[in-house]
Amino acid sequence: MNHVLKSTDSLTPPSRLNALIRWVTRSIQKNLNSIFVVLGFFLLWEAAVWVFRIPPFILPAPSTALSHLLFPRAEANYRWSYHISSTVLAISLSFVATSTVGILIAIALAWSKRLKEIILPAFVFINSLPIIAIAPIILLWMGYGVFTNMVIAFLVGFFPVVINTITGLEAVDEDLLDLVRYLHASKLQVFLKIRIPNALPYIFSGLKICSTMSIVGAIVGEFIASDRGLGYIIINAQYSMNTPPIFSSLILISLAGALLFTLVSLLERILMPWTAFEAEP
Amino acid sequence: MHGNTPLLSIRELKKVYKTREGELEALGSVTFDIYPQEFVSIVGPSGCGKTTLLKIIAGLLPKTSGEIFVDKKQFDPSREVGFVFQKPLLLPWRKVIDNVLLPIEILKLDKRNYIEKARALLELVGLSGFENNYPNELSGGMQQRVSIARALIHDPKLILMDEPFGALDALTRERMNLELLRIWSESQKTILFVTHGIQEAIFLSDRVIILSARPSRMIKALDIELPRPRTMEVRSSAEFGVYSLEVYRCLELT
Ligand SMILES: Nc1ncnc2c1ncn2[C@@H]1O[C@H](COP(=O)(O)OP(=O)(O)OP(=O)(O)O)[C@@H](O)[C@H]1O
Ligand SMILES: [Mg+2]
Repeated sequence: MNHVLKSTDSLTPPSRLNALIRWVTRSIQKNLNSIFVVLGFFLLWEAAVWVFRIPPFILPAPSTALSHLLFPRAEANYRWSYHISSTVLAISLSFVATSTVGILIAIALAWSKRLKEIILPAFVFINSLPIIAIAPIILLWMGYGVFTNMVIAFLVGFFPVVINTITGLEAVDEDLLDLVRYLHASKLQVFLKIRIPNALPYIFSGLKICSTMSIVGAIVGEFIASDRGLGYIIINAQYSMNTPPIFSSLILISLAGALLFTLVSLLERILMPWTAFEAEP
Repeated sequence: MHGNTPLLSIRELKKVYKTREGELEALGSVTFDIYPQEFVSIVGPSGCGKTTLLKIIAGLLPKTSGEIFVDKKQFDPSREVGFVFQKPLLLPWRKVIDNVLLPIEILKLDKRNYIEKARALLELVGLSGFENNYPNELSGGMQQRVSIARALIHDPKLILMDEPFGALDALTRERMNLELLRIWSESQKTILFVTHGIQEAIFLSDRVIILSARPSRMIKALDIELPRPRTMEVRSSAEFGVYSLEVYRCLELT
């Protein structure tokens, strides 16, 4: 027998953890360039504002926006921590709810062909509605609050999750299905053991799109249906032509976007450890 | 040599695929029996319908016409068939050991009773120590050996093997041939083995079924009466040469 390969040759759990750590450090290294690009962009912006003497109510320098965050002014005394936490809550709840409901809907539709034929066209229709236009109606029906916000975010972000998940559930190699079919696997077993794990990479690409969409949805929700949050600050500051807090909010929102996207990627790595060894550079 | 009732009887089996270009007759008419504890090989040119035949037997494809009789007194075709596919078909998200245990889960058997067996089977195919690796960390040949362990885990009576050793190097292949004969003789299994290797077919089998090119008919069922247990020396015997010549002649005639 071929016992040249000893058990120490196999990849043991600790080395799997190492692989995850390696992946994290490598991703940071890879993203170092984009961090420099972002920093460079802010520097150029800062310089342009000073060189061309652009008035702050048109375009504030990033430093001005930052100082408004750290030292709120009397004329616009926003309680930043309150608004930030409210937006973070809205985004997180929206994202979690949209992903969960979206994945469950997709499983139901992939399970029943008839249901899919009936429901999917309706989803296409809903998805093509301009959300800004229907958000006021939702507000009318449901009133202010984080739940309204979640509904708006759901309408913005559920479609990519549903479509990607369905694609993943259906994109199974026929031969892989044969593997369990000859043992007379039930439909439930085929879903649990083949289709759902097979869909994971697709689900995660849907979630990545959804992560940005949830932010759009949550902010739009705050524009229209909320008395708190960064979206609310943007609208409120706009009324008083107080531009710097708007930019403070925008910077925070993109930061939240990058953070959520990173979290989803990390979760992907953790839940799909078998991809961790692919494509070493 | 074998019992009187066949485990499996195939009568005038015919398969026509409906493709975009029209009908494609894969199996012309194939008739043969397999008796319990027999080792039967099928050889034939590429594309003659060997995979098709195995899949019909396993219930993965509908037949166009003909009959397959299964002796349900001797075995339960829904639980006691093992299939080694032409491709390894491992689930990339499962560790090697969990891939081997897949049939146990599908058949809703108690997994705890089979973990030791899974380890033993992995050892048998030369993969002990790789239980906790993912399939993409193994070579193609190693993956195929995992799939052989998987086909044996639920102790099937009938094993269908579709060119299981095609991806292995010559040396490993020889070793796997001997191991397969050992498993077969020790465990009273019936094996239907598809291969391109004429020597391999003769070395392993009680009978070699030779199929013609598509649409395939059975050219000959050649009984191999070499003594068992077979060792490597058998291959250099005069009888072995006669059998090979016979098979070559059959295939050339087509
Ligand atoms: N799903 C399918 N639809 C249409 N035609 C098919 C299908 N599967 C196989 N065929 C055709 O049927 C014929 C037999 O295919 P099969 O895979 O059974 O051959 P094979 O004997 O296993 O070949 P090989 O030795 O190369 O594996 C081939 O000509 C192939 O093109
Ligand atoms: Mg084939």
